[in-house]
Amino acid sequence: MEHLLIEITKALVSALFMGMVFGLVALGLTIIWGVMDIVNFAHGEFLMIGMYAGLLTALILKVDPLFGLPVAGVVGFLLGVACYYGLVKFLLRGPMIAQLFGTFGLMLFLRNVALMVMGADPQSAHQGVLVGKSFVIGPGIVIELTKLAAGGLSVVAFATTWWLMNRTEIGRALTATALDAQAARYMGVPTEKMNALAWGLGGVTVGMAGALLVNFWPVDPNVGLLFTMIAFTTVALGGFGSIPGAAFAGLIVGLVINIAPIWDSIHAFLGPTSFQGGQLHQFKYSFVYLAYFLIMVLRPRGLFGWKY
Amino acid sequence: MEVLKSAFDFSDFPKIDLCVAGAVGAFLLVFPALPHSGFTMATMIQFLMFSVYGMGWNTIGGYGGQVDLGKAQYVGIGAYTTAVMMIRWDVPFWVSMPIGMALAVGWSFMIGYPLFRLRGHYFAIATIATSLILKDVFESWSFVGAARGLKIPIKGEMPNFLFLQFRQDYYYYYIILAFFFIGLFYLNWFRHSRIGHQLRCIKDSEDVAQSLGIDAHWAKIKAYATATAFVAAVGSFHACYNFNIEPEDVMGLDLSVLIALMAMLGGAGSLFGPIIGAAILVPMKSFLGAWLGARAGLIGLDLIIYSTIIMAIAAFEPRGIWGLITRLRQARRN
Repeated sequence: MEHLLIEITKALVSALFMGMVFGLVALGLTIIWGVMDIVNFAHGEFLMIGMYAGLLTALILKVDPLFGLPVAGVVGFLLGVACYYGLVKFLLRGPMIAQLFGTFGLMLFLRNVALMVMGADPQSAHQGVLVGKSFVIGPGIVIELTKLAAGGLSVVAFATTWWLMNRTEIGRALTATALDAQAARYMGVPTEKMNALAWGLGGVTVGMAGALLVNFWPVDPNVGLLFTMIAFTTVALGGFGSIPGAAFAGLIVGLVINIAPIWDSIHAFLGPTSFQGGQLHQFKYSFVYLAYFLIMVLRPRGLFGWKY
Repeated sequence: MEVLKSAFDFSDFPKIDLCVAGAVGAFLLVFPALPHSGFTMATMIQFLMFSVYGMGWNTIGGYGGQVDLGKAQYVGIGAYTTAVMMIRWDVPFWVSMPIGMALAVGWSFMIGYPLFRLRGHYFAIATIATSLILKDVFESWSFVGAARGLKIPIKGEMPNFLFLQFRQDYYYYYIILAFFFIGLFYLNWFRHSRIGHQLRCIKDSEDVAQSLGIDAHWAKIKAYATATAFVAAVGSFHACYNFNIEPEDVMGLDLSVLIALMAMLGGAGSLFGPIIGAAILVPMKSFLGAWLGARAGLIGLDLIIYSTIIMAIAAFEPRGIWGLITRLRQARRN
């Protein structure tokens, strides 16, 4: 019984930290979606590039990937702005289907460039100050320091973004563009620049999320799609365009992904003879997709959404 | 009779188009008699398969304007139905194909009913989600061979028309060519039909369509089921042609996107669009893959070129090649 409780607590703690990073991944998507009403299928690829940026910084400087955070942020910003001026600006003139395929093309492009440059093998961080260190809270419950730091830094990133969007001139201009681009233009807001800025901001947050995530998730060029789907689910659950929504929904998605491990440990506790329901972890991501489906069908506005 | 007449009525196309289409049709009919390599033959079969996939996608995605990125789940249902029935119960292809189509259409009703309450992006992402769920299920379901997939054993002597097992590729070629022509004439009927007009109205504005008394939800579900039937039939053919199916091949997201992309590249919502798209993308993909993919260090270069084309099309001519042709014609007329 005690063993079971420890297993469940472990899974919950892991869910909590994972959820914080998922929230940060979704934050970039929700900013772009909220301001411009465009889906970015390449979002997971932005994350992948952020992960590589963090990892490479760590490998070159021989420190933790956490210290690659600023580098990944800058790379993400440049990537976002470049994508806006190079592609998205043109896509906006076309119908919705063009936006879908344009960003889909971007996704394939980034993924295969990464494949060519970095190779197909998964890579992860093995060195640094924090890697491998952990502390114990209670019997058997171990918290890895990297996860704790990742969770803490995502909270900081969330707070900063919230402050930027709600308490500064730029944030107000962004919100105005999101609410009514034409009216904002009449009021002297440079909406074109605001759109680019939204992509830049989305890139920064997702790049930083990548640098945090690479601490405990190996990176390979194909990692993106899973996170694109996770980000879509998180954004759908939190409500399109809502920053607190993304944070809260990230935690829930972290939990949903950990339903399967929790269930498997309960099952292991009950013993294999009681009933055949084990091996649920194969469906760990199906739960995320199912969650998206259910949210869209039952409450398309999401928990905190103002736009759908 | 009326239906047949409408299916063979191409009178709204300019003469030159019909001449080109007739020439292409004649070429397709005699192609196996011309000298060709095995690789070219395989590419042609792929082209025909993707044309029919694209035609199916075109009913809902092109005429209806509902971007569906989950078509691969129906390819998978068709392919798995045929393979499982052939392996376990010795059921011939011509029986298992309609059953596969029926299962796929049933599944499409089940997910189409809730899904079509969503619009635009939300719908597109939800189709991806359902497709990936189904793929996860098939990857861990041991009855259908889990992640390893299924391998169809060879039944008796070849050529075997009941089980679609042939040594020479041209048998497969003519069977898929028959599918292709049936699909083409069906679509020609479809675009003049009541549901075709309803769908185009929904594409332009769903609210206006509703106010005119069109049951938009039901019309979309019907078109979705039509698209599904097309795709599942070719899925069944795919199982027989490849002898070997895996969840990643027949249900992966790549296939879904490829299907939608070909229709979009050629011109979604036009009769010949998906065929043009497949005629460009399939050979490009297989030849680029064969030339570049084999060289070390250039892994993925074919997909980079390919994604650049997608981005360029999406940015500069979202109506695809057919849109380009239409625009050139209008420019000349003025």
